Amino acid sequence: MLPVAHVGHYLWALYLLPVAIVVAGIVKSARAQHREGEED
Amino acid sequence: MTSLPFAHALASRQDLPIPAWLFAWAASIVLIASFFALSAAWRKPQFEDEHRRSLGERLSAVLLSLPTQALCGALGVFLLGVAIYSGLRGTEAPDRNFALTFLFVTCWLGFPFFSAVLGDVFRPFNPWRAVGRVAGGGFRAIAGQRAAHLDYPEWLGRWPAAIGLLAFVWIEVVYGRTSIVSVDIDPHAVAIAALVYSAYTLAMMIVFGVEEWCEKGETFSVYFGMFGRLGIFGERDGRLYRRRPFSAATKWATVPGSAAVVIASIAATSFDGAQDGAFKAGIEDVFEWLSERGISLLEALRLTDTIFMLLTFAGVALVFLLGVRGMRTVPGAPSFKKLRRGFSHTLIPIALAYLVAHYFSFFVFQEQAQFTYLLSDPLGTAHTNLFGTVNYTVDYRVLSANTIWYVQVAALVIGHVIGLMLAHDRALVYWPDYKKATASQYWMLAVMVAFTCFGLYLLSVANG
Repeated sequence: MLPVAHVGHYLWALYLLPVAIVVAGIVKSARAQHREGEED
Repeated sequence: MTSLPFAHALASRQDLPIPAWLFAWAASIVLIASFFALSAAWRKPQFEDEHRRSLGERLSAVLLSLPTQALCGALGVFLLGVAIYSGLRGTEAPDRNFALTFLFVTCWLGFPFFSAVLGDVFRPFNPWRAVGRVAGGGFRAIAGQRAAHLDYPEWLGRWPAAIGLLAFVWIEVVYGRTSIVSVDIDPHAVAIAALVYSAYTLAMMIVFGVEEWCEKGETFSVYFGMFGRLGIFGERDGRLYRRRPFSAATKWATVPGSAAVVIASIAATSFDGAQDGAFKAGIEDVFEWLSERGISLLEALRLTDTIFMLLTFAGVALVFLLGVRGMRTVPGAPSFKKLRRGFSHTLIPIALAYLVAHYFSFFVFQEQAQFTYLLSDPLGTAHTNLFGTVNYTVDYRVLSANTIWYVQVAALVIGHVIGLMLAHDRALVYWPDYKKATASQYWMLAVMVAFTCFGLYLLSVANG
């Protein structure tokens, strides 16, 4: 049997995922811009 | 509010076509698409000027005339008096006493909803302002001069209103909770609290002046007035005017403590929604830990709820301040303090969205009680039937569970898109180069996505 009895307790992670994706995108873009600035 | 034990118990189960969490993903995509649309098409500030247009001179004169103001003020004082009397002399049953529904539903939710559309509708009905103005007029007539007041300390700003806001919600959702599973707020305690608040407000009006205290310190004037800044009507120099929606909000957060008021509003709604849902397990753990250390059950419960309420405030503030801190990394950014104050108003539509999402169904259900049996029998003692409506009941079928959910999702998405729009507009003021303005707003996009997903998570747990 799969251990899914308490899977409902971790549903919050699905709500956190879009936030994590947006923050990761921002950090990646900021670092790329920073690198470009250093190269210039 | 949701924790008053009269409306939510009868909500039916949802039957959604997709899981609730997918709505959070869809809402996030809508926000991201809106962000890029704003970046591409919105390159000059649109909300810094209110674009005022005068209303008809006669209409303005009638609405702002002394008799109209006296009538509205008298109505406010009368209704507050009825609420206090009902609380003191009426039944202890919270669902049958006029005081609780009138104060916690009709006023607390009704004024923000109507103000957000029409402008500050509380101001003419504010009972304390009405009493203060009459007393000030009386003093002038007797003494032949205006009453002298102390200068309001600049640093104090709107902090008294922010603290008052948290205290008001604390009375309802923390003090009113008598056990881990039930809320039984006492109308008598609410009436006493209203009397104490009235005495405090009138004393502050004597010290600092009626209008000064209403502008900065009086909780309800500041709170309802904040939502009124989103509305389309305003008053200036004794004339009513129409303005661009949301534009007056851009000049709201000019005094210290304004950010605290709007953050307190979001936090209070979040806590109320999470108390019996997302935070329930955590609250129970801390409650048990405290009660095992010899603290009485009621005190442990109130202490636990107070801790979680303050943590919610700190969490909401932290998300906003992280967004502001992120904006500071963009070249040409103003100071942290200026950014914090300059972007506080972008949270007002979010505070409204949270209110609508959490309380819209509650408002619809409870107002049926307000305008039928509570109006006919304010004391709830079954001795009066003033309007012949005492036997009416609340019809919970007017809204299905699915309708409530779709309204909640729509409110959160629309509120956050408006928040993004206001933030983008303000960024164009601080960074005239629209590319830098857009770069700064990546951070506010993260803030908006975070608040949207958090709001939907709280609702999904509460509805589940």
